[in-house]
Amino acid sequence: MERRGFLVGSMVLGAMAIVPSEMFAVENRRRFKVIADFDIKYDEKDFPAKLWFPLPYDSDYQKVRSLKFSGNYDDSNINSDNKEDAKILFASWKKSDKKKTLHVEMEIETTYRSVNLKYIKKASSKNLPIPASVKKFLEPSSHIPTDGKIKEIADKLTKGMTDRFQKVQAIYNWVTKTTFRDPKVIGCGVGNAGKMVESGYFGGKCTDISSLFVALTRAAGIPCRDVFGIRLGLSHFSKALGKADKNGFANISTWQHCRAEYYIPGIGWVPTDPADITKLELVEKLNYNDKKTKELRAKYINSWEMNWVGFNWGRDFVLSPKPEQFPINMLGYPYGEVDGDVLNYYSPRAFAYKITSQEIK
Amino acid sequence: MRYIFLILAVFSLSFAKVAIIHVEGMTCPLCTMAIKKSLKQIDGVSKAKVRLNTKKATVYFDDKVDKKQLLNAIKRAGYKGKIESIK
Repeated sequence: MERRGFLVGSMVLGAMAIVPSEMFAVENRRRFKVIADFDIKYDEKDFPAKLWFPLPYDSDYQKVRSLKFSGNYDDSNINSDNKEDAKILFASWKKSDKKKTLHVEMEIETTYRSVNLKYIKKASSKNLPIPASVKKFLEPSSHIPTDGKIKEIADKLTKGMTDRFQKVQAIYNWVTKTTFRDPKVIGCGVGNAGKMVESGYFGGKCTDISSLFVALTRAAGIPCRDVFGIRLGLSHFSKALGKADKNGFANISTWQHCRAEYYIPGIGWVPTDPADITKLELVEKLNYNDKKTKELRAKYINSWEMNWVGFNWGRDFVLSPKPEQFPINMLGYPYGEVDGDVLNYYSPRAFAYKITSQEIK
Repeated sequence: MRYIFLILAVFSLSFAKVAIIHVEGMTCPLCTMAIKKSLKQIDGVSKAKVRLNTKKATVYFDDKVDKKQLLNAIKRAGYKGKIESIK
């Protein structure tokens, strides 16, 4: 569904003939071989199992060049049968005492993603209508409310502004200044923007911080979404944002990372990553106004370094085939069930899975 | 041997009490596991099922367990429970 939205957006751009080559910066093409291995564990000897593994979407900045999988599953399929069009590799095993294994190999090509600020500002100043295909990204969900305190904060931050990008800037500045990375939060965090503003505690991880940005931006009338994915290797900006050994290899089992995108009519989706500002500050012990933080803030309002690959933007949705537990809050991690018991996706060892990435030079 | 265990399990469940508890505060599938784990730590709880979509826990327990223990276990996991029925 959304990919169609993206294509529509591209066609609109084409029709408007405002696609100069410098609008989308193209550099830093990178390739990674990603391997995921599952050997599902449970505290009984005989058990059935079901596994939903998120796969990357294809776009102009990331492509799955090859995908193969094997294992001793009884059934498997690749589907996008959910309201968010999230692509999933599903595998299931009947009740037995045998090992339950799945091996997935992907070659992924990414390209540094940046949208030229000059063109964002130009398009934003035209205040074009929001296409019907992206209006759903204005809607609230249980974790992304757009009323109450969220609306109050969004209104306050954008008071007197009519330009959409100006509003995004105000929200981005506030979120990156107000939030901080709390290393005690498990995984990427739940991403409950309503709870965050109600509690007044602005510590969290990437899903928490991105969700706050998404909720505020939607409340300001601008389509916005979380994008769930995983870091693949070395960041050229900071080791805080991705690392690998000298051969370009990394165990990325716990490197899931949530980013965000907002929609400016006439341009399309613009990448942003408010959460990584707070990660840089924590890991490199920097302050908000330090030079390196300022540099990343300026960069990440309209770009993504692509040592990462995106899976989907699904929130509060139901997977296919339907699990016993639903809706799922987000799908950045593998999701598994044994008779309705959810496998601990935050613990690769307990689940058990291992995901590795090898950069191909 | 396997069948004896099965018969014993069915026998014990058929004489168990069943509580349906409404649980507030669950936000993701893993919340169900935290609640189930906490409930199963009570001596006398033989089985617990927690569902995110219905926000309900179904707990099978024997006479030595009282409803306060069930609600406290849910509270310890970080959620709020309200008994809907006990049979």
